[in-house]
Amino acid sequence: MILDIIISGLINGSVYALLAIGFSLIYGAARIVNLAHTAFYMVASYCIYFATHKLGVHPVLAMLAAIILVTLIGLVCYQLFINPIREHEAAVLIATIAMAMAMQEIMLIIFTGDYLSVPSLIGGYLKIFGVKIAYQQLLTFGVALLILAGVWALLKKTRVGLAIRSTAQDREVANLMGMNESRVAMITMGISVGLAAFAGAVVVPLTVVNPHMWMHPLIFMLAIVVLGGLGSLKGSFVGAYILGFTEASVVFLIPLGAFLKGSVALSVMILVLLIRPEGLFGVAFEEER
Amino acid sequence: MLLAVADLIVCYDRAMIINELSMNVDREELVSLVGPNGAGKSTLLRAITGLVAWEREITRRSTGGDVIIKGTVTFDSERIDQIPAHEIVKRGLIHCPERRRPFREMTVIDNLYAGAYLLKDKKEIQDNLEKVYQLFPVVKERSDQISGTLSGGEQQMLAIGRALMFQPKLLCIDEPSTGLAPILRRQVFEKIGEIRDLGITLLLVEQEVSTVFKMASRNYVLSAGKIIAEGTGEQLLKDEVIRKTYLGL
Repeated sequence: MILDIIISGLINGSVYALLAIGFSLIYGAARIVNLAHTAFYMVASYCIYFATHKLGVHPVLAMLAAIILVTLIGLVCYQLFINPIREHEAAVLIATIAMAMAMQEIMLIIFTGDYLSVPSLIGGYLKIFGVKIAYQQLLTFGVALLILAGVWALLKKTRVGLAIRSTAQDREVANLMGMNESRVAMITMGISVGLAAFAGAVVVPLTVVNPHMWMHPLIFMLAIVVLGGLGSLKGSFVGAYILGFTEASVVFLIPLGAFLKGSVALSVMILVLLIRPEGLFGVAFEEER
Repeated sequence: MLLAVADLIVCYDRAMIINELSMNVDREELVSLVGPNGAGKSTLLRAITGLVAWEREITRRSTGGDVIIKGTVTFDSERIDQIPAHEIVKRGLIHCPERRRPFREMTVIDNLYAGAYLLKDKKEIQDNLEKVYQLFPVVKERSDQISGTLSGGEQQMLAIGRALMFQPKLLCIDEPSTGLAPILRRQVFEKIGEIRDLGITLLLVEQEVSTVFKMASRNYVLSAGKIIAEGTGEQLLKDEVIRKTYLGL
């Protein structure tokens, strides 16, 4: 039981971390609350399904293609629907939720509402203390960690990362350092959507693909971001694992707990907002930035 | 002439902040802008370095409010009033903003690297870093610290150091001494003197008139968006009206 919770918590946590960090990145750099974030994750899953089942492409290749394609779709959506209104926070909220709905309906039309699945990349399982761990689960966990490390290196070690971090802190001063703020926002959007697509790719063999699969992660992701502190990458990372383990505990410890997991996430969010509105690692944003 | 501003007008929603202002800065000069609060000193700097135009884009896209900018700004014999702020930087016109504004959650060294963002040559960046460290040893001591934890004086040194990372032709500093203890003010002014001696042209907005008048080769007195007097410190201090009304001395 304990081991089940740990494994499930680690995997869920890593996938949530991928989603939440992508979401926080674009919020930090451009103050865009992208409610369509997990919809990109859904579209990536469908792309992989389509490529493997209908086109017979090798799964790994399908995943890479899906990530590139979804990133491009994300950038086009950004240019068309978000960029023109991005100084208007409420408008961005409405536009992104509309984008998510539209993507859901488009998938519904193309693929119907059927539950679809993508086979594991590797079969077989490992047995530790009597608990079965599928190799696919280990792979998902490992790849997710690898990508997170990659994001960290990108932010800390590269010029683009420096520009993203500076813009997130104070975009006016970043401007004075010669950083093109609107280009930084676009690049960050690309990275952010790319991460959502990556999350879709690593999780697709473990889940069922359906047009509503973006809702549950969206709620969890928002709860994580509130828990960790809006705009804080460290907070998103820690918050993701906290909620990942909470979800796993509820599912394994409470009879019929699987139905409760959504409400647990939301309860955590409400609790945080009541007790510590800025979140665990939150920064109270200054007027100017 | 390095910088020339001609007939500049800046209006925020019909409030005229800069009113047909003309001024200039020659190479290797230290020029100061003084005047009462709200005279438009900071706005003038922001207009020169393209921030007012940038702000105009943002307000247009968010609230629909308007900012009007007219007039010309010439830097190094090139019109820059139509160029976006992040492009102006490339020409060597660097603005060190009011209230220092370091990237608070980043380390001191990352702040300095951000200042050298436009430089691609690693060796050049290291050379500039050494120069900044030489000028501000305290910044070197703190290089791995998170910059938000620095004291006010250290943050000011960092902000100036960050601006120097690009080896500016003209460095505009907005109120470097504001909010600092007297001893730190003196240090900041000493450093500004050293920067001038390096051959970098400086344009200072300053409240502390008595010190800046001794350093500057020329001073502009601003009031209500207009330049009402220009001259050396000595000349300006001789004028009773200016001294009492605008400088409060």
